[in-house]
Amino acid sequence: MEAVNIQFAPSTGTEPEWNEAYARLADYFRSYQLHNRIRRTQLILETLRRAAQAHERDPLRTPTEHSIEQARLMLREWLADIYSDMNLSDSQLEAVGRLGFHLSGGPARWPNFFLQQQDLPADMREAMRMAVRTSGPGMSISKMTPREMDLGIVSDVAEDTFDRLEQSPWLRYALLVGISVAVLGYLYQLLT
Amino acid sequence: MSVVGHSTRLLGNTPGSATALLQATAGMPPPHEARLRRTTFFSFVCLGSIVGLWLMFTQLNAGGMRKAEWLLLAVFAPLYYQLNVGFWTAIFGLWRMNLGKRDPLDLWRSLRPEDSEAPIAAGTAIVMPVFNEDVTRVFEGLRSIYLSLEKTGHSESFDIFILSDSNQTSQWIEEETAWLELCRQLNAFGRIFYRRRRKPINRKSGNVSDFCRRWGKRYRYMIVLDADSLMSGNLLCSMVRIMERNPAVGILQSFPKQIGSETLLGRLTQFAQSLYGAPFMSGLDYWQGAEANFWGHNAIIRLEPFIKYCALPALPGKEPFGGHILSHDFVEAALMRKAGYAVRLLPANRGSYEEGPPTLLDMLKRDRRWCQGNMQHFWLLFAKGWHPMSRVNFAHGILAYGSSLLWLLFLLLSSFLMATPSGPQDAQAALATRLLLWVTGMLIFLPKAATLLDELIMGRVQPTAKGRLQTLISSVLDTILFALMAPVMMVFHSQFVVCTILGRGVNWVTQRRRLDGGVDWAEVFFNLWPVTLLGLLWAAVVAVSAPAHSLWLLPVLGAMTLAIPLGILLSGKASGQRLGLFVSPEEVKPPQVQAVMDEHLAEIKGRIHLPPELERFHGLLQVCLDPYVNGLHVSLLRKRKSVEVSRDYLAQIAERLIRDGPQALNDREMKALTHDTETMTSLHFRLWSARDSQLAPFWATAIRQYNLAASNPFTHTLAQAD
Repeated sequence: MEAVNIQFAPSTGTEPEWNEAYARLADYFRSYQLHNRIRRTQLILETLRRAAQAHERDPLRTPTEHSIEQARLMLREWLADIYSDMNLSDSQLEAVGRLGFHLSGGPARWPNFFLQQQDLPADMREAMRMAVRTSGPGMSISKMTPREMDLGIVSDVAEDTFDRLEQSPWLRYALLVGISVAVLGYLYQLLT
Repeated sequence: MSVVGHSTRLLGNTPGSATALLQATAGMPPPHEARLRRTTFFSFVCLGSIVGLWLMFTQLNAGGMRKAEWLLLAVFAPLYYQLNVGFWTAIFGLWRMNLGKRDPLDLWRSLRPEDSEAPIAAGTAIVMPVFNEDVTRVFEGLRSIYLSLEKTGHSESFDIFILSDSNQTSQWIEEETAWLELCRQLNAFGRIFYRRRRKPINRKSGNVSDFCRRWGKRYRYMIVLDADSLMSGNLLCSMVRIMERNPAVGILQSFPKQIGSETLLGRLTQFAQSLYGAPFMSGLDYWQGAEANFWGHNAIIRLEPFIKYCALPALPGKEPFGGHILSHDFVEAALMRKAGYAVRLLPANRGSYEEGPPTLLDMLKRDRRWCQGNMQHFWLLFAKGWHPMSRVNFAHGILAYGSSLLWLLFLLLSSFLMATPSGPQDAQAALATRLLLWVTGMLIFLPKAATLLDELIMGRVQPTAKGRLQTLISSVLDTILFALMAPVMMVFHSQFVVCTILGRGVNWVTQRRRLDGGVDWAEVFFNLWPVTLLGLLWAAVVAVSAPAHSLWLLPVLGAMTLAIPLGILLSGKASGQRLGLFVSPEEVKPPQVQAVMDEHLAEIKGRIHLPPELERFHGLLQVCLDPYVNGLHVSLLRKRKSVEVSRDYLAQIAERLIRDGPQALNDREMKALTHDTETMTSLHFRLWSARDSQLAPFWATAIRQYNLAASNPFTHTLAQAD
């Protein structure tokens, strides 16, 4: 592990802004499940230094924005080296790489090598590359199409009737009212 | 196609292949045996129905038949037929259970002792279609099944597929994380797969068909599970072995027993199923033979013929009566039979489980869907090429709901006939009335009484004397409670049937399988008050117009009037468990597969949760903030050559999500956002890059609290079993 250099003196931006950037980076690296605080602090300071340089070039963006962007760039550089031959787009590289680090047990096994460019252990590199996952097995396509079914004459007649009723809601309700009136009329006749 | 024809095709019609031919038809009951059983059964059913009809006719004909009385007789006929089918099914089942020798057609007999040790050569896919289900329950259930399979030593023959149609973003993300974590914990990558459809075409049946098209060729069998299904490894292996030994069987349906209920209704149905289920299942197996039904889950299917012959056609017209087939299982069973394969029931007391609806209203919601599905089968009744028994099955399905409307009509007609003047009853009619009453009472209560007697003597469900006594009391109480429920169900089922005919369909909604918290009194009241009102009005009319006959209708009208308190009582958690009532064997000694699941569920229940506003969108929160969950989600998204919506649109909704929080986006916008790999990747960084003042309060809180709650982002919905 490298010695922790705690010197950080940005020439642009205010102290509250850099404190906010620090807090955000701390949260961000914690979300990677890096429980080694010293390593986390190293990463935060390294990222902040890079962010400070970027902020000098572009002071319109906040230190927090620069910090997270630098963390992202560091991640991409790191992953591009590990997955160099896999022909992945930027978003795929980030996604696959982050997942690979988790599945290989990286946060617990190799926290000190997270975002480290040099001297990555070969087994870590291998484990991360092996951890590329897909959610399903290779497809083996079959054709599954319904067979012709003769529903018979009753269905034909019923289909025509339903189509007609479907097209005219008033006819549907008129039929319902007619049936109801007929039933009630008949019952009235029975009662009287 | 006949079975023999199928067998011949299978074996290439080689000379001297009689033995092989015999094997290829194994599992298909011999035609003479099937005919004998069916003739015997339906002879009794017809005899019972004719006796009932004759008694009814004699009673009505006292002063000559009026038109209304003919109508009443017409309504009575299918009702009495249905009553007879249920009665004789149970009686035949009881007879078989007490026969003392095993049924020669019992599929368990096809297994040999050495089979249990032999390796399973056939590949089997266990598929579980899910739609916005409780993620924890789904994946913990699968974990139990997987562990149970591991114990058998044959787990390598099975692959598990979670086939998701979930359309709620948080649910979808939680499914992905649970899948990954389950695979990681069980070291089951390449054994448990997750697939989510972007467009849930044709609902559950479309989901399964999609699986068949993509991966069906890789497997010989498919075992379909529901989101609440549990099956033991032993039964799963046995079912595969039975299918291997019986190539003529296309679908083998197990008997899923209800477990895990906490409410009175749930425990009541659980108890009734454990007590009366076995004889009923045995009776069904007796007369259905090779033309049994598929119930949609906890069944094994031979994939090759299923893919070839069981694709579902669209029905004429539009939903709800036409269009996509809702109750696909009956139709798939009929198509399988039409293709020449047997559809068999597998009577088994242990190993196959499911959960039931916890409340009366949940049961009614489920019945609403089933009703529409069964009513659709009307189109198929007259289609050409079905096995006659498949038509009978369709007709029974329609009658299961249609009979409620018929019963309602019967009661209404009876009420009006009572109110109208009729001639004096002669001695013959009076005798017929008394006999009809006795016979009907016997048809309703004898199967229960006989099953109870069998239980008291044999102790099949409860071996101890105390247990049997509690079963006796529970059985009396369950008869009373089911009798009170029946008129309420009748009103609702009648309404469902009429709504379906009038073209009012149902939405595809997630089933509630467990009751969180207490009974929602308002929900019960607002849904059941019309039944109470109808009961009161009806009682008033009868009391005024035919006071002498009102006693006859009291059980029905009284139950309708009491619908609200009954709904509350049944939905409550005061279920008599402390008194030892309604106890099922699975409650006394939970099967291993359930015990493992319950243990894990209990672990999750005790966890600290995020504030409710964060918990509600937890999946979304994770996919946006957590680098690993975001990575998983983007990795699993299918790479698309072009996006369906413009980049500007996606940027604009992403901006709104950050600024205004998740509640500011509608489902369509959320869907567009979460399906795009670039947007989801950049959203992760944009959220972390934004200052607190640029974020919606939801995100500001989420960023502060996320790391405190998530010790491991993937175990939010899953037990940490390793």
